[in-house]
Amino acid sequence: MSTASAAFPGAASPPHHRPSLLTISWRAITRKPSRVIGITIILFFTLMAIFGPTLYPKQLPINPAELYAPPSWAHPLGTDFEGTSVLAEIITGSRYVLSAAALAAVFTIGFGTLAGVVSGYFLGSTDQIIMRVTDFILTIPGFPLLIVLSTVWSFGSPIAMGLVLGLTGWGGLARAVRSQTLSLRERGFIEAARGLGLSNAHIITREILPNISPYIAMNLLLSVTGGIYAEVGLFFLGVIPFQASNWGVMLNLAFGNGALYTPQALLYMLSPMACILLVTFGIVLTLDAFDEILNPRLREG
Amino acid sequence: MKGLLPRLIKRILGGIVMILVVASFTFFLIHLIPGNPVEAKLMQLETAGVTPLRAQIEVQAMYGFLPHQPLDIQYIHYIWQILHLNLGQSITYAGVSVTHLLLEAMPWTVITVTSGIIVSFVVGILTGVIIAVYRDRGISNALTLFSTFLHGIPQLILALLLAFLFTTIWPIFPFGSPYDAVLTPGFTLPFIGSLIWHAVLPVAAYAISSYGGWALTMKSSVISVLGDDFILASELRGLKPRIRIGYIARNAILPLFTTLTLSIGFMFGGSVFIEEIFDYRGLGYMLITAVGNLDYPLMAGSFLIITVAVIVANIIADFVYTAIDPRIRT
Repeated sequence: MSTASAAFPGAASPPHHRPSLLTISWRAITRKPSRVIGITIILFFTLMAIFGPTLYPKQLPINPAELYAPPSWAHPLGTDFEGTSVLAEIITGSRYVLSAAALAAVFTIGFGTLAGVVSGYFLGSTDQIIMRVTDFILTIPGFPLLIVLSTVWSFGSPIAMGLVLGLTGWGGLARAVRSQTLSLRERGFIEAARGLGLSNAHIITREILPNISPYIAMNLLLSVTGGIYAEVGLFFLGVIPFQASNWGVMLNLAFGNGALYTPQALLYMLSPMACILLVTFGIVLTLDAFDEILNPRLREG
Repeated sequence: MKGLLPRLIKRILGGIVMILVVASFTFFLIHLIPGNPVEAKLMQLETAGVTPLRAQIEVQAMYGFLPHQPLDIQYIHYIWQILHLNLGQSITYAGVSVTHLLLEAMPWTVITVTSGIIVSFVVGILTGVIIAVYRDRGISNALTLFSTFLHGIPQLILALLLAFLFTTIWPIFPFGSPYDAVLTPGFTLPFIGSLIWHAVLPVAAYAISSYGGWALTMKSSVISVLGDDFILASELRGLKPRIRIGYIARNAILPLFTTLTLSIGFMFGGSVFIEEIFDYRGLGYMLITAVGNLDYPLMAGSFLIITVAVIVANIIADFVYTAIDPRIRT
């Protein structure tokens, strides 16, 4: 990519044929087997969250004759303290957990990027106020804050959960985006854009945001893991009432029913934990592919 | 050393402002709780046959204000009480002051969290130096992989796994309380031994959860210091490798102190899980019990004290940093 087209994206189309985003992604992902594994894990869990719950009845059957049953064909991960299939609980519980985490990531990125770019671009008193608020958010321990908020906020829907996780979690990203914006605004092409009299909105959306988008996209994925930990933690502690089972509720019930001292309950407790770690693993493996897809400088090599 | 005192005063003032903001937050939070718990408590006491005056005194003692006063008067009363270190009275532990409960809970959290931070900081930094210095050997890759792996495990899962593995599968460590129930608390050798033995798993949970982060940050910090001119100069002058590594480590540690402030908040936040799982009656435990029992004075107090602990720890970390790095003192 020539410097001219990097400076004015969209201003002039490059003369040579440009591969589509899909082709670029495909190439970047298939370059390393670890990335293929990562993206497969993510796709697997996404499909589980979308279609999995439709395979089971709304109220999962309980079976008092099969408490803590070992794995079998009917219950590949055994059963819980009520005789419900653990696999069924994992699958039906994935929708809430993953959709709330995805929403949390979107909100975190939205708030963090907005605060960081505005703060780093306009500087002055805007910057001071935003950074004061950011410091504040970063100092207050996030998890206790969520627990306290659970008394006034209903976490029932994934959107409500995602919004709160976003509102309490944007501090670190805002700081990082601000410092990236600060270094970008001193660069030649931004000064040129300002010299051309382009509006601030144009410079921010067309010049600055595309340049920090790889960083933002990577944080989007990372925030998903943060969102999962936070919501599962809230359910584990039992501070939010729950209507249906999900991974956090499973951990809560397993812990509350003494799974820690019951070796037969091993699978019941380990299954949600394994899912959380698997999702994290998939995301970490996919991250470096993202860097290559979105960062044109890396794509050349 | 001349910039030190104004800096200290500025930090402390900033901390006080932050504490007041958090106190205001808990005040308004109590008002936002559905069902108006303060009014409800008053009504409950009155229907239980307590005289209205007596009921008002009790509610005032619990929350620090009365529901029928104007909001600004309530707010001033509330903040005034907090400035006098009076955080109200617990509802679950009837008649016991929140300050008293939290003072008893504080050592459990502060000691375990501090030990966890120190252990993970020291071990993490040593690992980071090893990874960076021997970065062309197999051990470096293995340690990087290991640290990245541990870095990815959330505190909750880590604590559950540790508890499950070492108290049920291989019952090496005791489980369920901070000391053996048969021992009477006191400065006796068996009691202190029991305290330490019981603290191994919770401290390990804190330490392991932040160890990976330290190792990885230290690694990149050391690598960037290795490129500095003074390292080349010391090499050319023939300084012993051991002395050189000392120089490198001292310079590379500095950027880590900014991360330390974030880590402190993370660790105190994690006390919620670790104390719940290992049954430590610390600040995090108090917070969850309070929310579970709708004990709002205790909840507000615990949250405030956890925040205060984080703010104080941040100020201390900032000053250790100033003491170590002479450059920012000027």
